[in-house]
Amino acid sequence: MSETNRGRPGWPVDSGPHGRSGDVARDTLLARAFVRLADTLASDFDVVDFLQTLSEDSVAILGAEAAGVMLADPRGGLRLIASSDERMRLLELFELQGEQGPCLDAFSSGRAIQASAADSLGRWPVFTPHASDAGFQMMCAVPLRVRTDVIGALNLFRGIDEPFTDAELDLAQAMAEVAAIGLIQERALRERGLLADQLQAALNSRVVIEQAKGMLAEYLTVTVDDAFTLLRHYARDHNRKLSELASDVAERKIPSAALARRPGQQP
Amino acid sequence: MAAVTGRDITTGAGELIQRLCGFALDQMALSGCALVLMSGAESASVLACAGRHAQTITRLQMELGEGPCLQAYATGVPVLLPDLAAENANRWPTFAAAALAHGVQAEFSLPLSVRPGGIGTFDLCRDAPGTLSEEHLADALVAADIARDAVLYQQYVPGDAGLAGLLATVGTDRIVIHQATGMIAAQLDETMSNALARLRAAAFASGRSMCDIAQDVVERRVRFDE
Repeated sequence: MSETNRGRPGWPVDSGPHGRSGDVARDTLLARAFVRLADTLASDFDVVDFLQTLSEDSVAILGAEAAGVMLADPRGGLRLIASSDERMRLLELFELQGEQGPCLDAFSSGRAIQASAADSLGRWPVFTPHASDAGFQMMCAVPLRVRTDVIGALNLFRGIDEPFTDAELDLAQAMAEVAAIGLIQERALRERGLLADQLQAALNSRVVIEQAKGMLAEYLTVTVDDAFTLLRHYARDHNRKLSELASDVAERKIPSAALARRPGQQP
Repeated sequence: MAAVTGRDITTGAGELIQRLCGFALDQMALSGCALVLMSGAESASVLACAGRHAQTITRLQMELGEGPCLQAYATGVPVLLPDLAAENANRWPTFAAAALAHGVQAEFSLPLSVRPGGIGTFDLCRDAPGTLSEEHLADALVAADIARDAVLYQQYVPGDAGLAGLLATVGTDRIVIHQATGMIAAQLDETMSNALARLRAAAFASGRSMCDIAQDVVERRVRFDE
Protein backbone atom coordinates (compact mmCIF):
# COMPACT_ATOMS: atom_id res chain seq x y z
CA MET A 1 0.00 0.00 0.00
CA SER A 2 1.52 3.33 -0.97
CA GLU A 3 0.45 6.88 -1.27
CA THR A 4 2.12 8.66 -4.11
CA ASN A 5 2.73 12.33 -4.31
CA ARG A 6 5.48 12.92 -6.80
CA GLY A 7 6.63 15.35 -9.47
CA ARG A 8 5.29 15.89 -12.98
CA PRO A 9 4.96 13.00 -15.42
CA GLY A 10 8.15 11.67 -16.99
CA TRP A 11 8.07 11.49 -20.76
CA PRO A 12 8.06 9.33 -22.79
CA VAL A 13 6.09 6.91 -20.71
CA ASP A 14 7.17 3.32 -20.31
CA SER A 15 4.14 1.37 -21.39
CA GLY A 16 5.18 -1.56 -19.17
CA PRO A 17 3.73 -5.02 -19.31
CA HIS A 18 0.17 -3.71 -19.37
CA GLY A 19 0.45 -1.26 -22.25
CA ARG A 20 -2.77 -1.76 -24.21
CA SER A 21 -1.52 -0.20 -27.39
CA GLY A 22 -3.44 -2.49 -29.75
CA ASP A 23 -2.77 -1.30 -33.25
CA VAL A 24 -2.58 2.37 -32.27
CA ALA A 25 0.48 3.71 -30.48
CA ARG A 26 -0.21 4.79 -26.91
CA ASP A 27 1.11 8.27 -27.63
CA THR A 28 -1.60 8.63 -30.24
CA LEU A 29 -4.30 7.35 -27.89
CA LEU A 30 -3.02 9.73 -25.25
CA ALA A 31 -3.01 12.71 -27.57
CA ARG A 32 -6.58 11.96 -28.64
CA ALA A 33 -7.65 11.52 -25.02
CA PHE A 34 -6.22 14.90 -24.00
CA VAL A 35 -7.94 16.61 -26.92
CA ARG A 36 -11.25 15.08 -25.77
CA LEU A 37 -10.55 16.14 -22.18
CA ALA A 38 -10.01 19.74 -23.26
CA ASP A 39 -13.28 19.87 -25.16
CA THR A 40 -15.68 20.88 -22.41
CA LEU A 41 -16.93 24.19 -23.75
CA ALA A 42 -18.98 22.82 -26.64
CA SER A 43 -22.64 23.82 -26.51
CA ASP A 44 -23.78 20.18 -26.32
CA PHE A 45 -21.37 19.27 -23.48
CA ASP A 46 -22.62 16.45 -21.29
CA VAL A 47 -20.81 15.71 -18.05
CA VAL A 48 -21.76 12.01 -18.00
CA ASP A 49 -20.56 11.46 -21.57
CA PHE A 50 -17.37 13.36 -20.77
CA LEU A 51 -16.54 11.26 -17.70
CA GLN A 52 -17.60 8.04 -19.42
CA THR A 53 -15.01 8.84 -22.08
CA LEU A 54 -12.42 9.59 -19.38
CA SER A 55 -13.01 6.23 -17.75
CA GLU A 56 -12.83 4.36 -21.06
CA ASP A 57 -9.69 6.25 -22.13
CA SER A 58 -8.12 5.45 -18.76
CA VAL A 59 -8.70 1.76 -19.32
CA ALA A 60 -7.22 1.89 -22.82
CA ILE A 61 -4.19 4.01 -21.95
CA LEU A 62 -3.26 3.07 -18.38
CA GLY A 63 -3.50 -0.68 -18.58
CA ALA A 64 -6.42 -0.89 -16.19
CA GLU A 65 -9.17 -3.44 -16.46
CA ALA A 66 -11.90 -1.11 -15.31
CA ALA A 67 -12.22 2.55 -14.39
CA GLY A 68 -14.84 4.82 -12.88
CA VAL A 69 -15.29 8.45 -11.95
CA MET A 70 -16.96 9.97 -8.91
CA LEU A 71 -17.79 13.65 -8.49
CA ALA A 72 -18.54 15.67 -5.38
CA ASP A 73 -22.12 16.86 -5.08
CA PRO A 74 -22.91 20.34 -3.74
CA ARG A 75 -23.03 18.99 -0.17
CA GLY A 76 -19.56 17.52 -0.45
CA GLY A 77 -20.61 13.87 -0.77
CA LEU A 78 -19.38 11.77 -3.68
CA ARG A 79 -21.60 10.47 -6.45
CA LEU A 80 -20.77 7.85 -9.04
CA ILE A 81 -20.97 9.45 -12.47
CA ALA A 82 -19.34 7.04 -14.91
CA SER A 83 -17.91 3.52 -15.05
CA SER A 84 -16.19 1.61 -17.82
CA ASP A 85 -18.30 -1.48 -17.10
CA GLU A 86 -21.15 -2.80 -14.97
CA ARG A 87 -18.95 -4.77 -12.57
CA MET A 88 -17.04 -1.58 -11.79
CA ARG A 89 -20.26 0.36 -11.34
CA LEU A 90 -21.56 -2.06 -8.70
CA LEU A 91 -18.25 -2.08 -6.88
CA GLU A 92 -18.11 1.71 -6.76
CA LEU A 93 -21.66 1.82 -5.47
CA PHE A 94 -20.55 -0.52 -2.66
CA GLU A 95 -17.64 1.83 -2.02
CA LEU A 96 -19.99 4.77 -1.64
CA GLN A 97 -22.47 2.83 0.46
CA GLY A 98 -19.77 1.48 2.77
CA GLU A 99 -18.17 4.91 2.91
CA GLN A 100 -14.70 3.44 2.47
CA GLY A 101 -12.32 2.66 -0.38
CA PRO A 102 -9.57 4.13 -2.55
CA CYS A 103 -11.76 6.67 -4.36
CA LEU A 104 -13.02 8.18 -1.11
CA ASP A 105 -9.49 8.31 0.31
CA ALA A 106 -8.11 9.95 -2.85
CA PHE A 107 -10.93 12.47 -2.70
CA SER A 108 -10.51 13.33 0.97
CA SER A 109 -6.70 13.43 0.91
CA GLY A 110 -6.31 15.02 -2.53
CA ARG A 111 -3.59 12.47 -3.25
CA ALA A 112 -3.17 9.45 -5.48
CA ILE A 113 -3.81 6.12 -3.72
CA GLN A 114 -2.62 2.69 -4.77
CA ALA A 115 -3.30 -0.51 -2.86
CA SER A 116 -3.35 -4.24 -3.41
CA ALA A 117 -6.56 -6.01 -2.39
CA ALA A 118 -4.40 -8.55 -0.55
CA ASP A 119 -3.08 -5.82 1.79
CA SER A 120 -6.21 -3.74 2.21
CA LEU A 121 -8.55 -5.71 4.44
CA GLY A 122 -7.42 -3.74 7.50
CA ARG A 123 -7.81 -0.38 5.80
CA TRP A 124 -11.14 -1.01 4.06
CA PRO A 125 -12.72 -4.05 5.78
CA VAL A 126 -16.12 -3.67 4.09
CA PHE A 127 -14.95 -2.66 0.66
CA THR A 128 -11.97 -4.98 0.08
CA PRO A 129 -13.93 -8.28 0.02
CA HIS A 130 -16.31 -6.80 -2.56
CA ALA A 131 -13.33 -5.79 -4.73
CA SER A 132 -11.80 -9.28 -4.43
CA ASP A 133 -15.14 -10.94 -5.20
CA ALA A 134 -15.46 -8.76 -8.30
CA GLY A 135 -12.06 -10.06 -9.41
CA PHE A 136 -9.95 -6.98 -8.76
CA GLN A 137 -6.50 -7.35 -7.20
CA MET A 138 -4.95 -3.91 -7.62
CA MET A 139 -6.78 -0.70 -6.83
CA CYS A 140 -5.77 2.84 -7.62
CA ALA A 141 -7.48 6.22 -7.35
CA VAL A 142 -6.37 9.72 -8.29
CA PRO A 143 -8.14 12.95 -7.33
CA LEU A 144 -9.83 15.20 -9.88
CA ARG A 145 -8.07 18.28 -8.63
CA VAL A 146 -7.32 21.84 -9.68
CA ARG A 147 -4.71 23.20 -7.30
CA THR A 148 -6.31 22.75 -3.87
CA ASP A 149 -9.83 22.26 -5.19
CA VAL A 150 -10.73 18.55 -5.29
CA ILE A 151 -13.95 17.91 -7.16
CA GLY A 152 -13.93 14.12 -7.46
CA ALA A 153 -11.74 11.08 -8.12
CA LEU A 154 -10.86 8.60 -10.83
CA ASN A 155 -10.75 4.90 -9.86
CA LEU A 156 -8.56 2.42 -11.74
CA PHE A 157 -8.71 -1.31 -11.02
CA ARG A 158 -6.64 -4.26 -12.25
CA GLY A 159 -7.51 -7.95 -12.22
CA ILE A 160 -3.92 -8.93 -11.46
CA ASP A 161 -1.86 -8.04 -8.42
CA GLU A 162 0.56 -5.80 -10.23
CA PRO A 163 0.99 -2.14 -9.22
CA PHE A 164 0.55 0.73 -11.61
CA THR A 165 3.97 2.15 -12.49
CA ASP A 166 4.96 5.64 -11.39
CA ALA A 167 4.66 6.74 -15.00
CA GLU A 168 1.15 5.31 -15.22
CA LEU A 169 0.12 7.02 -11.99
CA ASP A 170 1.55 10.30 -13.26
CA LEU A 171 -0.41 9.92 -16.47
CA ALA A 172 -3.58 9.08 -14.59
CA GLN A 173 -3.11 12.17 -12.42
CA ALA A 174 -2.46 14.33 -15.49
CA MET A 175 -5.63 13.08 -17.20
CA ALA A 176 -7.62 13.62 -14.01
CA GLU A 177 -6.31 17.17 -13.63
CA VAL A 178 -7.08 18.13 -17.22
CA ALA A 179 -10.57 16.68 -16.76
CA ALA A 180 -11.00 18.68 -13.54
CA ILE A 181 -9.93 21.94 -15.21
CA GLY A 182 -12.37 21.30 -18.03
CA LEU A 183 -15.22 20.54 -15.63
CA ILE A 184 -14.57 23.64 -13.54
CA GLN A 185 -14.50 25.84 -16.66
CA GLU A 186 -17.71 24.29 -17.87
CA ARG A 187 -19.35 24.83 -14.49
CA ALA A 188 -18.33 28.49 -14.48
CA LEU A 189 -19.77 28.91 -17.96
CA ARG A 190 -23.01 27.18 -17.01
CA GLU A 191 -23.32 29.22 -13.83
CA ARG A 192 -22.87 32.42 -15.82
CA GLY A 193 -25.57 31.24 -18.22
CA LEU A 194 -27.99 30.56 -15.38
CA LEU A 195 -27.26 33.95 -13.78
CA ALA A 196 -27.82 35.66 -17.13
CA ASP A 197 -31.16 33.86 -17.57
CA GLN A 198 -32.19 34.87 -14.06
CA LEU A 199 -31.22 38.49 -14.71
CA GLN A 200 -33.07 38.58 -18.04
CA ALA A 201 -36.15 37.13 -16.35
CA ALA A 202 -35.96 39.79 -13.62
CA LEU A 203 -35.60 42.59 -16.17
CA ASN A 204 -38.43 41.20 -18.30
CA SER A 205 -40.74 40.85 -15.34
CA ARG A 206 -40.20 44.51 -14.44
CA VAL A 207 -41.40 45.45 -17.92
CA VAL A 208 -44.30 43.01 -18.01
CA ILE A 209 -45.63 44.07 -14.61
CA GLU A 210 -45.77 47.71 -15.76
CA GLN A 211 -47.45 46.69 -19.01
CA ALA A 212 -50.03 44.62 -17.15
CA LYS A 213 -50.73 47.54 -14.80
CA GLY A 214 -51.39 49.74 -17.82
CA MET A 215 -53.61 47.17 -19.47
CA LEU A 216 -55.68 46.63 -16.31
CA ALA A 217 -55.94 50.38 -15.75
CA GLU A 218 -57.39 50.79 -19.24
CA TYR A 219 -59.74 47.78 -19.26
CA LEU A 220 -61.04 48.37 -15.72
CA THR A 221 -60.93 52.18 -15.80
CA VAL A 222 -58.89 52.41 -12.63
CA THR A 223 -55.64 54.22 -11.84
CA VAL A 224 -52.32 52.53 -12.49
CA ASP A 225 -51.73 52.33 -8.74
CA ASP A 226 -55.11 50.65 -8.18
CA ALA A 227 -54.32 48.26 -11.03
CA PHE A 228 -51.16 47.24 -9.19
CA THR A 229 -53.16 46.62 -6.01
CA LEU A 230 -55.55 44.38 -7.97
CA LEU A 231 -52.60 42.47 -9.45
CA ARG A 232 -51.03 41.93 -6.04
CA HIS A 233 -54.28 40.82 -4.41
CA TYR A 234 -55.11 38.39 -7.19
CA ALA A 235 -51.57 36.96 -7.10
CA ARG A 236 -51.80 36.47 -3.34
CA ASP A 237 -55.35 35.04 -3.38
CA HIS A 238 -54.49 32.60 -6.16
CA ASN A 239 -50.97 31.83 -4.95
CA ARG A 240 -49.41 33.07 -8.17
CA LYS A 241 -46.09 34.78 -8.73
CA LEU A 242 -46.68 38.42 -9.60
CA SER A 243 -44.49 38.30 -12.71
CA GLU A 244 -46.23 35.19 -14.07
CA LEU A 245 -49.66 36.66 -13.42
CA ALA A 246 -48.63 39.92 -15.10
CA SER A 247 -47.44 37.96 -18.11
CA ASP A 248 -50.78 36.11 -18.31
CA VAL A 249 -52.67 39.39 -18.09
CA ALA A 250 -50.45 41.04 -20.71
CA GLU A 251 -51.01 38.12 -23.08
CA ARG A 252 -54.72 38.07 -22.20
CA LYS A 253 -54.57 34.49 -20.93
CA ILE A 254 -56.39 35.84 -17.90
CA PRO A 255 -59.18 38.34 -18.68
CA SER A 256 -58.71 41.63 -16.90
CA ALA A 257 -62.25 41.39 -15.53
CA ALA A 258 -61.18 38.38 -13.45
CA LEU A 259 -58.97 40.70 -11.42
CA ALA A 260 -61.63 43.32 -10.88
CA ARG A 261 -63.05 41.84 -7.70
CA ARG A 262 -61.52 39.83 -4.93
CA PRO A 263 -63.20 36.56 -3.95
CA GLY A 264 -65.58 37.01 -1.03
CA GLN A 265 -65.71 40.73 -1.59
CA GLN A 266 -69.14 42.26 -1.89
CA PRO A 267 -69.95 43.61 -5.35
CA MET B 1 -7.34 48.26 -15.86
CA ALA B 2 -5.97 46.75 -12.66
CA ALA B 3 -6.10 50.21 -11.12
CA VAL B 4 -9.82 50.18 -11.75
CA THR B 5 -10.74 46.69 -10.66
CA GLY B 6 -8.08 45.82 -8.11
CA ARG B 7 -8.51 48.60 -5.63
CA ASP B 8 -11.17 47.14 -3.45
CA ILE B 9 -12.75 43.79 -4.13
CA THR B 10 -15.58 44.46 -1.70
CA THR B 11 -16.82 47.35 -3.80
CA GLY B 12 -20.30 46.72 -5.15
CA ALA B 13 -21.00 46.16 -8.82
CA GLY B 14 -22.55 49.61 -9.22
CA GLU B 15 -19.43 51.44 -8.14
CA LEU B 16 -17.14 49.14 -10.10
CA ILE B 17 -19.12 49.69 -13.29
CA GLN B 18 -19.16 53.42 -12.73
CA ARG B 19 -15.38 53.33 -12.39
CA LEU B 20 -15.05 51.30 -15.58
CA CYS B 21 -17.06 53.93 -17.44
CA GLY B 22 -14.90 56.71 -16.03
CA PHE B 23 -11.76 54.78 -16.92
CA ALA B 24 -12.90 54.26 -20.51
CA LEU B 25 -13.90 57.91 -20.85
CA ASP B 26 -10.50 59.16 -19.67
CA GLN B 27 -8.30 56.63 -21.41
CA MET B 28 -9.99 56.42 -24.79
CA ALA B 29 -10.81 60.09 -25.46
CA LEU B 30 -14.55 59.41 -25.46
CA SER B 31 -17.38 61.90 -25.21
CA GLY B 32 -19.68 59.29 -23.70
CA CYS B 33 -19.62 55.84 -22.21
CA ALA B 34 -22.54 53.81 -20.87
CA LEU B 35 -23.16 50.37 -19.43
CA VAL B 36 -26.64 49.32 -20.50
CA LEU B 37 -28.65 46.31 -19.34
CA MET B 38 -31.20 45.04 -21.81
CA SER B 39 -33.96 42.50 -21.94
CA GLY B 40 -35.76 41.73 -25.13
CA ALA B 41 -35.07 44.40 -27.70
CA GLU B 42 -37.37 46.91 -26.09
CA SER B 43 -36.10 47.55 -22.62
CA ALA B 44 -32.84 49.16 -21.57
CA SER B 45 -31.56 50.36 -18.23
CA VAL B 46 -28.44 52.51 -18.08
CA LEU B 47 -26.57 51.05 -15.10
CA ALA B 48 -23.70 53.49 -15.22
CA CYS B 49 -22.43 56.18 -17.52
CA ALA B 50 -19.88 58.94 -17.94
CA GLY B 51 -19.43 61.81 -20.36
CA ARG B 52 -21.82 64.29 -21.92
CA HIS B 53 -23.04 61.92 -24.62
CA ALA B 54 -23.48 58.98 -22.26
CA GLN B 55 -27.27 58.96 -22.17
CA THR B 56 -27.73 60.37 -25.66
CA ILE B 57 -26.93 57.27 -27.67
CA THR B 58 -28.91 54.90 -25.49
CA ARG B 59 -31.98 57.18 -25.38
CA LEU B 60 -31.85 57.69 -29.15
CA GLN B 61 -31.75 53.99 -29.87
CA MET B 62 -34.59 53.16 -27.50
CA GLU B 63 -36.57 56.03 -28.96
CA LEU B 64 -35.97 54.96 -32.54
CA GLY B 65 -35.94 51.20 -31.95
CA GLU B 66 -32.78 50.84 -34.03
CA GLY B 67 -29.05 51.28 -33.77
CA PRO B 68 -25.72 49.65 -33.00
CA CYS B 69 -26.34 48.83 -29.33
CA LEU B 70 -29.57 47.01 -30.15
CA GLN B 71 -27.73 45.08 -32.84
CA ALA B 72 -24.76 44.29 -30.60
CA TYR B 73 -27.19 42.98 -27.97
CA ALA B 74 -29.20 40.96 -30.49
CA THR B 75 -26.22 39.40 -32.29
CA GLY B 76 -23.57 39.20 -29.55
CA VAL B 77 -21.06 40.76 -31.97
CA PRO B 78 -19.40 44.18 -31.44
CA VAL B 79 -20.62 46.94 -33.73
CA LEU B 80 -17.91 49.47 -34.55
CA LEU B 81 -18.93 52.67 -36.31
CA PRO B 82 -15.87 54.94 -36.54
CA ASP B 83 -17.68 57.44 -38.77
CA LEU B 84 -21.40 57.90 -38.29
CA ALA B 85 -21.49 60.39 -41.18
CA ALA B 86 -20.63 57.48 -43.46
CA GLU B 87 -23.50 55.46 -41.92
CA ASN B 88 -26.03 58.04 -42.95
CA ALA B 89 -27.15 56.23 -46.04
CA ASN B 90 -26.38 52.78 -44.75
CA ARG B 91 -27.64 50.60 -41.95
CA TRP B 92 -29.25 53.12 -39.62
CA PRO B 93 -30.00 56.35 -41.47
CA THR B 94 -32.42 57.59 -38.81
CA PHE B 95 -30.20 56.78 -35.85
CA ALA B 96 -27.02 58.05 -37.53
CA ALA B 97 -28.61 61.36 -38.49
CA ALA B 98 -30.01 61.86 -35.00
CA ALA B 99 -26.69 60.97 -33.33
CA LEU B 100 -24.80 63.37 -35.60
CA ALA B 101 -27.33 66.07 -34.77
CA HIS B 102 -26.38 65.55 -31.09
CA GLY B 103 -22.68 65.80 -31.95
CA VAL B 104 -21.86 62.09 -31.77
CA GLN B 105 -19.57 61.17 -34.66
CA ALA B 106 -18.43 57.65 -33.78
CA GLU B 107 -19.94 54.84 -31.76
CA PHE B 108 -18.64 51.49 -30.61
CA SER B 109 -21.05 49.06 -29.02
CA LEU B 110 -19.73 45.92 -27.33
CA PRO B 111 -22.09 43.15 -26.20
CA LEU B 112 -22.09 41.84 -22.62
CA SER B 113 -22.12 38.29 -23.93
CA VAL B 114 -23.24 35.21 -22.10
CA ARG B 115 -23.65 32.41 -24.61
CA PRO B 116 -25.99 31.98 -26.32
CA GLY B 117 -27.40 35.45 -25.58
CA GLY B 118 -26.33 38.49 -23.64
CA ILE B 119 -27.43 40.87 -20.90
CA GLY B 120 -26.70 44.27 -22.45
CA THR B 121 -23.99 46.39 -24.00
CA PHE B 122 -20.99 48.56 -23.19
CA ASP B 123 -21.30 51.62 -25.39
CA LEU B 124 -18.56 54.08 -26.24
CA CYS B 125 -18.97 57.19 -28.34
CA ARG B 126 -16.89 60.13 -29.53
CA ASP B 127 -17.51 63.61 -30.79
CA ALA B 128 -14.93 63.07 -33.53
CA PRO B 129 -14.73 60.34 -36.18
CA GLY B 130 -11.97 57.74 -36.06
CA THR B 131 -11.37 54.10 -35.25
CA LEU B 132 -10.78 52.76 -31.77
CA SER B 133 -7.14 51.68 -31.52
CA GLU B 134 -6.51 47.95 -31.08
CA GLU B 135 -5.25 48.60 -27.58
CA HIS B 136 -8.35 50.56 -26.62
CA LEU B 137 -10.63 47.99 -28.20
CA ALA B 138 -8.90 45.25 -26.22
CA ASP B 139 -9.27 47.27 -23.00
CA ALA B 140 -12.92 47.94 -23.76
CA LEU B 141 -13.63 44.25 -24.41
CA VAL B 142 -12.02 43.32 -21.10
CA ALA B 143 -13.97 46.08 -19.34
CA ALA B 144 -17.18 44.71 -20.86
CA ASP B 145 -16.40 41.23 -19.53
CA ILE B 146 -15.58 42.58 -16.07
CA ALA B 147 -18.79 44.61 -16.01
CA ARG B 148 -20.81 41.61 -17.17
CA ASP B 149 -19.45 39.36 -14.41
CA ALA B 150 -19.82 42.09 -11.80
CA VAL B 151 -23.50 42.42 -12.68
CA LEU B 152 -24.15 38.67 -12.90
CA TYR B 153 -22.47 37.78 -9.61
CA GLN B 154 -24.05 40.75 -7.84
CA GLN B 155 -27.20 38.61 -7.88
CA TYR B 156 -25.66 36.51 -5.10
CA VAL B 157 -25.63 39.56 -2.82
CA PRO B 158 -28.98 39.60 -1.00
CA GLY B 159 -31.28 42.56 -0.47
CA ASP B 160 -30.76 46.16 -1.38
CA ALA B 161 -26.98 45.79 -1.41
CA GLY B 162 -27.39 43.35 -4.30
CA LEU B 163 -28.57 43.67 -7.85
CA ALA B 164 -32.16 44.39 -6.79
CA GLY B 165 -31.01 47.59 -5.10
CA LEU B 166 -28.97 48.57 -8.12
CA LEU B 167 -31.84 47.94 -10.51
CA ALA B 168 -34.36 49.80 -8.34
CA THR B 169 -32.69 53.08 -9.22
CA VAL B 170 -32.19 52.57 -12.96
CA GLY B 171 -34.56 52.43 -15.91
CA THR B 172 -37.26 54.19 -13.88
CA ASP B 173 -37.69 56.83 -16.60
CA ARG B 174 -39.07 54.13 -18.87
CA ILE B 175 -41.70 52.81 -16.45
CA VAL B 176 -44.28 55.21 -17.87
CA ILE B 177 -43.57 53.90 -21.37
CA HIS B 178 -44.33 50.32 -20.29
CA GLN B 179 -47.52 51.39 -18.56
CA ALA B 180 -48.65 53.39 -21.58
CA THR B 181 -47.83 50.40 -23.78
CA GLY B 182 -50.25 48.30 -21.73
CA MET B 183 -52.96 50.95 -22.00
CA ILE B 184 -52.49 51.36 -25.76
CA ALA B 185 -52.57 47.56 -26.20
CA ALA B 186 -55.96 47.54 -24.41
CA GLN B 187 -57.27 50.49 -26.41
CA LEU B 188 -56.35 48.92 -29.74
CA ASP B 189 -56.83 45.26 -28.78
CA GLU B 190 -53.23 44.72 -29.86
CA THR B 191 -50.13 42.88 -28.63
CA MET B 192 -47.64 44.70 -26.41
CA SER B 193 -44.98 44.86 -29.11
CA ASN B 194 -47.42 46.33 -31.64
CA ALA B 195 -48.63 48.81 -29.05
CA LEU B 196 -45.05 49.87 -28.36
CA ALA B 197 -44.46 50.30 -32.10
CA ARG B 198 -47.53 52.57 -32.28
CA LEU B 199 -46.23 54.64 -29.37
CA ARG B 200 -42.81 54.93 -31.01
CA ALA B 201 -44.36 55.90 -34.34
CA ALA B 202 -46.50 58.57 -32.66
CA ALA B 203 -43.41 60.00 -30.97
CA PHE B 204 -41.44 59.99 -34.20
CA ALA B 205 -44.26 61.61 -36.17
CA SER B 206 -44.86 64.33 -33.58
CA GLY B 207 -41.24 65.03 -32.75
CA ARG B 208 -41.97 64.49 -29.04
CA SER B 209 -40.28 61.94 -26.83
CA MET B 210 -41.89 58.58 -26.13
CA CYS B 211 -41.84 59.44 -22.43
CA ASP B 212 -43.85 62.62 -23.01
CA ILE B 213 -46.51 60.89 -25.05
CA ALA B 214 -46.59 57.96 -22.63
CA GLN B 215 -47.19 60.40 -19.79
CA ASP B 216 -50.17 61.83 -21.70
CA VAL B 217 -51.54 58.33 -22.24
CA VAL B 218 -51.20 57.30 -18.61
CA GLU B 219 -52.82 60.55 -17.47
CA ARG B 220 -55.59 59.95 -20.02
CA ARG B 221 -55.01 63.07 -22.06
CA VAL B 222 -54.27 61.04 -25.19
CA ARG B 223 -55.95 57.90 -26.53
CA PHE B 224 -54.84 55.79 -29.46
CA ASP B 225 -58.30 54.53 -30.48
CA GLU B 226 -59.75 57.89 -31.43
